[in-house]
Amino acid sequence: MLEPLLLTLRLALLTSLALLLLAGPLAWVLAKREFRGRGLLETLLLLPLVLPPTVLGFYLLLLLGKNGPLQQWFGLSLAFTFEGILIGSVVFNLPLALSNYREAFRTIDDDLLQTARTLGAGRWRVLREVVLPLAAPGLLSGTLLVFAHVLGEFGVVLMVGGSLPGETQVLSIYIYELTQALRLEEANRVALVLVGLAFGLLLAIRSLEARWKSNTSSSTPSASR
Amino acid sequence: MEVEYVLEHPVRLEIALQVQGFTVLLGESGVGKTSLLKALAGLLPARGRPFAGLRAEQRPVGYLPQHFALFPHLSALENVAFPLAHLPPARRRAKALEFLELMGIPSLAPRYPRQLSGGQQQRVALARALAREPQLLLLDEPTSALDVATREEVFSEVLASLRDLNIPTLAASHDPWLAQQADRVAVLSARGLIQQGSSTEVFAHPVDLGTARLVGFRNFLRGVVEGLEGENAWIACGGVRLRARRPGWARPGQPVVACVRSDEVIVVRPDRRPELPVQDNLLSGTLLSLKPEGLGLRGRFSGPLELDLLLPRHVQERLGLEVGRTIEVSLKPQYLHLVPG
Repeated sequence: MLEPLLLTLRLALLTSLALLLLAGPLAWVLAKREFRGRGLLETLLLLPLVLPPTVLGFYLLLLLGKNGPLQQWFGLSLAFTFEGILIGSVVFNLPLALSNYREAFRTIDDDLLQTARTLGAGRWRVLREVVLPLAAPGLLSGTLLVFAHVLGEFGVVLMVGGSLPGETQVLSIYIYELTQALRLEEANRVALVLVGLAFGLLLAIRSLEARWKSNTSSSTPSASR
Repeated sequence: MEVEYVLEHPVRLEIALQVQGFTVLLGESGVGKTSLLKALAGLLPARGRPFAGLRAEQRPVGYLPQHFALFPHLSALENVAFPLAHLPPARRRAKALEFLELMGIPSLAPRYPRQLSGGQQQRVALARALAREPQLLLLDEPTSALDVATREEVFSEVLASLRDLNIPTLAASHDPWLAQQADRVAVLSARGLIQQGSSTEVFAHPVDLGTARLVGFRNFLRGVVEGLEGENAWIACGGVRLRARRPGWARPGQPVVACVRSDEVIVVRPDRRPELPVQDNLLSGTLLSLKPEGLGLRGRFSGPLELDLLLPRHVQERLGLEVGRTIEVSLKPQYLHLVPG
């Protein structure tokens, strides 16, 4: 069980970090900037949310696999590798990260950002001292949510990576194989680990969100006080 | 301070106004008051002077949005220290505390914005804006986020501190009470700047109907100039002939609106009736309604003209006014303000 567990945790950690760097700035643009084609871009980025994982996995396989464009142009064949399932996992979780981060940024009142500038802060200082501290709980809870979600990934990983022990065999696929082989006791143990992990993560997210709400709700004072 | 600005977006606005002491930019919502303040603060693109071409973070202005925009994750002291980032930490704290003291609230230093009342938040925000050592203060609707019951008291104190500091201040507002406290009032409408002057002048002599509404007139009697005679103008108005002070622009036959404040419609005491001069525009009619408003009473008079009145309690008690009673009211010529119709 240890090998697929470590592999899964590594996949979840790298996916979360990659999405923080990729979806974070993207979410800021979607939350705070007006531009032509924003609706279109948003729809495109949220598409993986509603596509069946097999459809997404199928196209990723074409893209990453033998004779795919990635191999033709860069000589890279990532199908059935850890890097391949990492890319699949990033694409698949992009909508989740994006919508959570976007919410975290959206709740920051524009008045705060504008006032900060009139107080002499350049854009970089506004980002560091106003945006990030205020968005931090939301960004963190979004990242944990992605992490938790990757733990249970199945369809996309199976399509892109198959089930190679130590390379692409994540916990959920391991459970599937154990069940196929009627090794139900071991399957149950692994499943319980996943349940425990998921519960702990959700609990953490909940407490983060409670903190986040109490923090941001004070940005607009109530006139009744 | 002379302000000349041209905005294209989100509203088209071309404005030249003078900011002297505490100046109120009076106007309905949507005419561009907030946009002008933001443009002055460098938050909206605009042309003009002063400060043209400077980025928001370079302008020597203190800007307070409607809800004060205190940083919720920072204490009052840290909020005030925000614009003092160029100082070493110990000096920065000391300086921030000085500005809190200036606003009379050093004891609030460790509190977070969510632990402060609206009035306290406003003072912290002002202390923070002052820490920037601004040449101009911009306040957006400074009374609207305050508790209605205590707003006048709370803001009067803030105003007194601002006057001591002697920093030119431009406050956007639609609050007639605030405009009354101002040294100067500039009236903004969708067509641009309509009138500016001392608050007494604008309140007593609004140049048009919209401004009259903004400064608190409630009765608008449409009529025609019937005749002009020396100091007097005769206005034919719904079958009644009213005597008013003659404005320079009035011509016979011209449509006009006679504006009267509700508290300047005088209910005549029957025992004083014979002593009143005839030119006082006496009207007889019925009191249609009477409702408490604050410590006074707002009533509706129906006679040859319909009028809204506002009476202090003692007048109602002394005259024993009741709904349905026949009463006589007087519209004194000096309280009838004419604007072109």
